[in-house]
Amino acid sequence: MIYDAAMIPTYICGIVAVYAVIRILTEKKTLKKLVFLNVMNFAITGLIVLSIPDIMVLLAGIAYFVGSTLEANAIASTYAGGVANE
Amino acid sequence: MPGVVLNIIIAALVCWILFITIDIIFRLPEKGGVSGANAIGTTIAADKGSLNGGCMMGNIVCSPDASAGTLLAACGVFVAGIPGGLLAALLVYIGNRICHDPGYAGTTGAFCATFLIAGFGLIGIPADAFIAGMVIAILTIQGVSHPYASRLLTKLWKVRA
Repeated sequence: MIYDAAMIPTYICGIVAVYAVIRILTEKKTLKKLVFLNVMNFAITGLIVLSIPDIMVLLAGIAYFVGSTLEANAIASTYAGGVANE
Repeated sequence: MPGVVLNIIIAALVCWILFITIDIIFRLPEKGGVSGANAIGTTIAADKGSLNGGCMMGNIVCSPDASAGTLLAACGVFVAGIPGGLLAALLVYIGNRICHDPGYAGTTGAFCATFLIAGFGLIGIPADAFIAGMVIAILTIQGVSHPYASRLLTKLWKVRA
């Protein structure tokens, strides 16, 4: 394997993403899974942009992050009882 | 190689202080912005955690806050310099409105982080170190131990309140 110091940020994002997935799989409560899922979303967004530094990829990364946050919001709010409980 | 690692450690510390400060200034630990954030807060509190810290962690999950703003601003500066960071701030603002969040923590965080990261770029810490640094910073809050993280956040919130 070729060792490259410039790749260290990418490796960190990848390792954190895999760690977060392991924590999601071992956690039992759905609402606490969402907190670990948030860590994974951060790491994947970083990976997307670090892998291809391009302006359209930046837009794709932001769209991924905001979309995944919206999904976590929807799942958590549904668990809490939805709009009727707000 | 040691230089790269040192840059990432400095970036992680700067990101951690930046996003915690802005989130606490914008009163994120006070209550959950949406019912889902409250539910996450009470779940963490029931699991040996603390309610205020849990609500802040719930708010981080449910809407792009200052931590998301910092990450996306770092991505923006990495790709396109200061204009990229400002584009990220605009999109975080739209994301806040989509997620039914009335606050401005995410937009302010992205805006401050853009200029901070561009400034650190001048003294030799590149934006990709800040992307990795922000991922490490969010890992310490959301991904290691929820009880300890929520108690720490509640302590910091009591300093502000």
